[in-house]
Amino acid sequence: MDFQKGISDWDVSTSEKVDEALVRLAQEEELANARLETLLTHQCQIEAKMSGIGRAMATLLAVESDSKNLNAQIVNTAKLAESVSAKVRRLDLARCRASECQQRVHDLIDLQLCSQGVVKAISDGEEDYEKGAAHIARFLAMDQQLLQRTADDVQGSFTSVSDAVRTLEEATEKMQTQISRRFDEAVDNDDLASVERFFKIYPLVGCHGIGIEKFSNYICKKLSVKAQKELRNALDIAKAERRLQLAYADRLTAILENFARVVEVNQPIIEACYGVASPYLLDMIKILQRECDLEVKNLLLEFNKNRQIQYRIQQIKESTQRSSGSGSASSNIQSLGHYRKPSGGSVDKLNPKEIDAIIAEITVMHSRVELYFRFMRRRVQANAEACMTEKEAQKEILDSYNNIIIKSDLSRQMQEILSTYLLFERYFMEESVLKAIALDTFEAGQTCSSMVDDVFFILRKSIRRSFSTQSINGTCAVINNAASSLDGDFVNALKTPLKNGYPSGYIDLAQAYNAIQTTLQQGKLQSSDADRGRANFLVQLNNADISTEYIETLWQTMEQEIAGTFPNMSSVERQLLDSCLTELKNVRDALKATVDFGMQQLRSSAIKPRLNPWVDQFLNYSHYLTEEELAKYEAGETFVQFLIVQLDGLLTTFKSSLSPRNYDALVSILATEVTLRLERAIKKSTFNRLGGLVLDQEVRALGTYLTGATSWSVRDKMTRLSQIATLLNLEKVSELSEYWNPESSNDMPSWRLTPNEIRTILTLRTDFRMEDIKRLQL
Amino acid sequence: MEDYKFLFKIVLVGNAGVGKTCLVRRFTQGLFPPGQGATIGVDFMIKTVEVEGEKIKLQIWDTAGQERFRSITQSYYRSAHALILVYDISCQPTFDCLPDWLREIQEYANIKVLKILVGNKTDRHDREIPTEVGHYFAKQHEMYFLETSAKEAENVERLFYEIAAELIDQARSKDGSSAATTAAQRQTDSGSIGLGFSSLSAKAAQSNCCSGLGLGNNDNASGTVGSNNTSQGG
Ligand SMILES: Nc1nc2c(ncn2[C@@H]2O[C@H](COP(=O)(O)OP(=O)(O)O)[C@@H](O)[C@H]2O)c(=O)[nH]1
Ligand SMILES: [Mg+2]
Repeated sequence: MDFQKGISDWDVSTSEKVDEALVRLAQEEELANARLETLLTHQCQIEAKMSGIGRAMATLLAVESDSKNLNAQIVNTAKLAESVSAKVRRLDLARCRASECQQRVHDLIDLQLCSQGVVKAISDGEEDYEKGAAHIARFLAMDQQLLQRTADDVQGSFTSVSDAVRTLEEATEKMQTQISRRFDEAVDNDDLASVERFFKIYPLVGCHGIGIEKFSNYICKKLSVKAQKELRNALDIAKAERRLQLAYADRLTAILENFARVVEVNQPIIEACYGVASPYLLDMIKILQRECDLEVKNLLLEFNKNRQIQYRIQQIKESTQRSSGSGSASSNIQSLGHYRKPSGGSVDKLNPKEIDAIIAEITVMHSRVELYFRFMRRRVQANAEACMTEKEAQKEILDSYNNIIIKSDLSRQMQEILSTYLLFERYFMEESVLKAIALDTFEAGQTCSSMVDDVFFILRKSIRRSFSTQSINGTCAVINNAASSLDGDFVNALKTPLKNGYPSGYIDLAQAYNAIQTTLQQGKLQSSDADRGRANFLVQLNNADISTEYIETLWQTMEQEIAGTFPNMSSVERQLLDSCLTELKNVRDALKATVDFGMQQLRSSAIKPRLNPWVDQFLNYSHYLTEEELAKYEAGETFVQFLIVQLDGLLTTFKSSLSPRNYDALVSILATEVTLRLERAIKKSTFNRLGGLVLDQEVRALGTYLTGATSWSVRDKMTRLSQIATLLNLEKVSELSEYWNPESSNDMPSWRLTPNEIRTILTLRTDFRMEDIKRLQL
Repeated sequence: MEDYKFLFKIVLVGNAGVGKTCLVRRFTQGLFPPGQGATIGVDFMIKTVEVEGEKIKLQIWDTAGQERFRSITQSYYRSAHALILVYDISCQPTFDCLPDWLREIQEYANIKVLKILVGNKTDRHDREIPTEVGHYFAKQHEMYFLETSAKEAENVERLFYEIAAELIDQARSKDGSSAATTAAQRQTDSGSIGLGFSSLSAKAAQSNCCSGLGLGNNDNASGTVGSNNTSQGG
């Protein structure tokens, strides 16, 4: 079938083709033969396999009967095994009972030994509490109920069992009170060795809870005394260490380290002596945390007092109220932009530099507490893993520690101090930004002024500092505040001079720069001084442009540094940070809008008014030329030469004072305006053939000039004008068809003119006949 | 790119314990959480909803009510598209604090932000703030108004869907017509919006049904509220 189908497709119309087909047929025959041959060679193998299968069949029958036998045997064996295992189970039970019995006998023997031993050990002469406690521990390890039953069982014949139990019970009680007494004595004498000794004995006499509690309280007392003393000398210590600015952060660190050390030292002791039945370490930490809360509270009271935190908070609140009280921010911006605060400056206005060191100190404090919690969490985790095998139970312990953290006063105090930090940091950032704006200076030869670098430096400093709090919430808030400072004060400072528009008239920029530098420093800007106004306008326009790049860089570096600072972020935390960073990046849109706004201002005040009279010169030229007039025209200054000289003059004044991107945007605007205006002038003129020819040349020259002026493509903006010139440069109307056909438009982009426009433009050529134009197939 | 047409940020504020976290949980996870701890700083949740055939991503910021978290939570106001101010209808002090919250909003939020007053816990029988009182307060301060119960899931979906619809309208009208709206325009018109929204809530109280979200009612008003949009192309 396949073959036939193949043949039927062949072309056999000529004898050569037939020959060709024959050759191909022969080839295929050969192939077929070869295939048949290989198939035949397999015959032997297949037959051999067949006979093999036949033989195997016989064996299989034997296998079948064997397997039936086997099955029967297995069923039998299973029955046997079941009866055996029942016996084994009974045996096992018996063995269990025997060993239980043995255990009871052992217990009984030990009971006697213990009861004799304990009495001796705690007798006044010896006071071997360790030995006595060991006996009691042995006694307590026995199953008390079982012991009671044994005593009941053997009642009558042996009264010594219940005697021994009673002796031991009494000894336990006695031991407990004695140890407590001795412990208290040791505490009173501040005898650390004895305290530790009895701390280890408590669990032996079954008083785990009391032991932990008494020992922890003792430690707390010791730490409290130490902390109080150190706090009193905080400033002296700091002075000696030349770390006055971190005096309280260092004290806090010392406090936290003390608690951490206690836990670190005692964790193995507790695990060894108190066992792993229950997370005793957590009980200790709970007590310690209460003391820690107290010590930190005292420290912060001192810190607040010494660093005048409340007073400074008050100063900040007042100054922000004053600034928003004197009318909303926007109304101030209208007038002088960045001078949000009354320029006189009141006496008690807080200088941001004054709180710089305090901010740093607070971040250290906050990060220390974060580290402390992290350390403790690891300890608790290790302890939980030692105590519990199940993950669930481990998690429960960790959760209950987290709960201790959340509920602790230390956490609450850190939230308070973080709040202070954020208030200070925001004030520092906003004030410094305002200051950078107010002290803006411009150096000749640069396109931007100092405030861009300064502002971004401040923001980066603040955001970086927020990382060192180790708080994600704090970092997010500072990023948010940075975004709002940029979006508010900074963008407004850029926008204000742009809003006033670009002062018209001729300019001498070199002079204007010097002027602006001094006025900016003096903090007053006289809008009457047009030159300064112009220079300032361009500088702010450039500032806005360059800031879009800076913000991108800031965003990227901060994102990287955050990843380095918080390597173990949860996914929610990551999203939180991402979202805040995105908000920062979005300020770019406001900056771009500012640039666009400034460009529009330039268009309406610097470009259009200058440009229009130049272009309108076109109307003063005749476009109705004889050969002679043409020669004369070309010998003198042509229109386009005049126009290009003017445009070039205009652009040159901007080229050195605009950032590259802004300059390109300006050329682009210029191109749009020139072409629009020229188009209008053309439509008001009439042309003969030579007039059209000249126009076409001039439009080309203009296009070449504009293309050369910028790295952006302005070709597109020239398209309409070029097409108009092409129309007016036609030999005759019918020639249009050569250009109109869109398929062969290699040279020309598709038409931007509607058929109606084309007809109208063609009528500008006085030598074209109306009927020809009307007859055009468009 | 992610598959959504608009991204809106909604921030919940109000005293601690009024049920902000419960409202967010109810809406995003469909449950009423038993005894969770107080919120620390801010919490953050995302839910994508579909309104008028558009996929909308809602970023919901749940804030802590206590004073000591204020400097954290304030920093989120600026970028919010909508602010939900919550009080507890069975707790007079939470209502009395509303002016303080409004002052904060005034100071830190965008002036064009959409504000919604929510009286939560309508399931409780010990009501202290009558509906009309809440309603009146909202009207006075040019806010939308709705009463909810996070516990009984009443009006919770409606609250967020209504906000989404309103924000879409704002974003669209900003794209279409001129974005500039004068303050005077905004003022006269937002009064009527307030009425529109609260009349919706009155209607909801009668029918007690959340399926008809009454999206159309805001059409005339939407064009004038304006927004600091964040429509992100999808
Ligand atoms: N009866 C009732 N209780 C609520 C409702 N919403 C929240 N709660 C309770 O109010 C308390 C505080 O809620 P929470 O969401 O943590 O408040 P938040 O501080 O504003 O986030 C919790 O005990 C909740 O169970 C509600 O709609 N009805
Ligand atoms: Mg909450």
